Amino acid sequence: MNKSLLLSAAIAVASSAVSAETLRIPHELGYGGSESIDPISPQRFYEAIQNVYSRLVRQGDDGRPSADLALSWEATPDAKEWTFKLRDGVTFHNGNSFTAEDVAFSLMRTQSPTIDSPTKGVMEIIDRVEVVDPLTAKVVLKQTHADFPLLVMDYRIKMLDAETCGGDLDALCESGIGTGPFELVDYDPLGTTTLKRFENYYDGLAGVENMELIAIADQDARVAALQAGQIDFIYALSAEQVPLFANNANFEVQSVPTGRWVGMVMNTQEAPFDDPRVRKAIRMTADREALGKLVYGKDGFIASCDHPVWSGDQYRAEIDCAQDIEGAKALLAAAGYADGLQVELFVSDISEGAVKMAEVLQNQAKDAGIEIELVLAPSDGYWGDVWMKQPFFATGWSQRPADQILNEAYRSSAAWNETAWNSRDFDAGLDAARAELDFDKRKALYGALQTELWENGGSFIPVHLNTVRAFSSKLKGIDPVEDFSLRLENVTKAGSES
Amino acid sequence: MLNLLQTTVSKPSGAIGLGLTVLHVLIALLAPVIAPYDPTMQNADAILLAPNAEHWMGTDSLGRDVFSRVVHGGRLAISVTFAAAVIATLWGGFAGIFFGAVGGRVDEYSMRIVDAFLSMPWLLFLLLIISIGGAGPATIIPTLGFFYGVAILRVVRGAAMQVATRDYVTAARARGENIWPIISREMFPNLSDILLVEGAMRWSWMLLAFSSLSFLGFGATPPTPDWGLMVAQQRSLISTAPWAVFWPCFALSTLIIGINLLADAIGKALGLDRATAIAV
Repeated sequence: MNKSLLLSAAIAVASSAVSAETLRIPHELGYGGSESIDPISPQRFYEAIQNVYSRLVRQGDDGRPSADLALSWEATPDAKEWTFKLRDGVTFHNGNSFTAEDVAFSLMRTQSPTIDSPTKGVMEIIDRVEVVDPLTAKVVLKQTHADFPLLVMDYRIKMLDAETCGGDLDALCESGIGTGPFELVDYDPLGTTTLKRFENYYDGLAGVENMELIAIADQDARVAALQAGQIDFIYALSAEQVPLFANNANFEVQSVPTGRWVGMVMNTQEAPFDDPRVRKAIRMTADREALGKLVYGKDGFIASCDHPVWSGDQYRAEIDCAQDIEGAKALLAAAGYADGLQVELFVSDISEGAVKMAEVLQNQAKDAGIEIELVLAPSDGYWGDVWMKQPFFATGWSQRPADQILNEAYRSSAAWNETAWNSRDFDAGLDAARAELDFDKRKALYGALQTELWENGGSFIPVHLNTVRAFSSKLKGIDPVEDFSLRLENVTKAGSES
Repeated sequence: MLNLLQTTVSKPSGAIGLGLTVLHVLIALLAPVIAPYDPTMQNADAILLAPNAEHWMGTDSLGRDVFSRVVHGGRLAISVTFAAAVIATLWGGFAGIFFGAVGGRVDEYSMRIVDAFLSMPWLLFLLLIISIGGAGPATIIPTLGFFYGVAILRVVRGAAMQVATRDYVTAARARGENIWPIISREMFPNLSDILLVEGAMRWSWMLLAFSSLSFLGFGATPPTPDWGLMVAQQRSLISTAPWAVFWPCFALSTLIIGINLLADAIGKALGLDRATAIAV
């Protein structure tokens, strides 16, 4: 009996030790299990690529570019050539050295027409990448871009091993070999994907030995899993879910202002949304402060006017977009809908508050004679089956700098141009802003583009969100920064510190 | 009919069943009068209020009055499932009597098809059909009517086989009457009790099925006040604002219990024991 007790105790201790060194993160299964480990794939496995790969530059705490695999960078006076000095001694998970050749490969493949990466529209500004020496890469742009490092700060512009990927610029690279703090052990996007810390990570050992990315599609199920101790962390809570963790000593709740948004998208090429008056009429019906309070709570948002640039961005334009029901009615009448308008809105629980936001918009729009019928779609596979396939649908975006989001979501050639916004003038405006070296003039140009989106665009972006994340109080080292700046390699779990 | 009613309510379970069912139907009919607020009215200043003098059952996450939504919440479910129950009882009852009367190979082959339908995971098939046809009543009513009609068919057919061997049916056959007069004049009057009880029971099951569909996002759509949808939308609040989830559950449960008790009491008043007399 004593022996078996001792054995049980030993097993329990051993189990808890292993468990204590494993950070368990939920994976939202947004692509229904067809996620790719290639960071520029349209179906990138976000939670994995964030930890397996590194960027050339990363987002600093102030939102500006800071060193990652590139230690420094400088531009020619016309900002058309950018030279990046690379960190020495960095190795990939397979032991290969990281060099300027890998930079050239990783940047140029983003333009591949066969991969059709969502980063393509933004990165097409690159003309070529020259390997000056193994630790120096020169990026030559097709046109001036005064803020080019902001583009390579993107969470998907990761550095891959050119040799492992076969040097093929037109093929997805599913090797999972990066220079990041964790290396891939077992890849199972429908179940549990396992990572272990990379012993030769240039910035020191990660705080936990292993990481598990556990597929949980449903937000309520993720909340239940965190409460039950099956996972350690949730990226975003809804306003109603916060009290579940706020007063519980076993958990910590962190609220961080961000550029994330959940919104509704009108396809500008499909009736009735091909008429800008209809689009603006729908936007004018919204009382954004009331909507934000109802959906995200009074401290959970900052109101916005249907442009994607958040309040913390240096290029944000301030626009007045007060609710105007009579103005909306007049626009509808001018567009031929004097007797009212009926539309279907496809929505799903894809991002926190999406369904509630649709309900609030539905309620506010009916005062202007707009009848919105909500069509609930399954969250599992929503991004593949509904998003950009219906005339009116819900969306959700993470924070991006002004230039990037305006190019990624509204340039006519962008893969994720979800509003099917097709304006040569807008594209020219994007080019002009990038080429402008004077900050004030550049800001004015970006501001004009945001005003144009408010006047004529297809997006309904009523608020930018605060991210409210919850995690086990056993975790230490989770900085109050937005998701793309979060460094899970710095996180330790009680029992794992050595 | 009056005798049936008196016998039904003579036992407490029958009285409770009838009372609950009638109460729910009345509330559904009079909801616009009873509800103190518009059930879809949102209020950013009244989010998740606990039950109080102004909001007797509290408010939900969009500041809507839970009492008003619960009162309206049964209207769609009751009307949709009642219509479906009528369809199911009519077609299932007729087909059951027909196959029970005809017998032979037609009956044998038909029952294998019925068995096949009964062995299917009905919820998945419901979801499949509604995914294709849309989530409105125009799809849900015939779909529920068809699936639950199959079960009624099976039960009624078993009872009809027993009736078909009775002397008065044999006499009608001997008189040379064809199948239709035998079904309508001889068999139907003697099976109407079973049809009534089966229809009532299936109605309560359909209520549960409809609420399940709404819970899964395939029944009622927002902002319609519907019990299943209310539970689905507020379920994450169960530990922080339980009133938003409890009351729709309570309303649905009491209606289903009421219909079940009523159907059992009617069956017993008619001399039917559902557990034995009409079991197949």
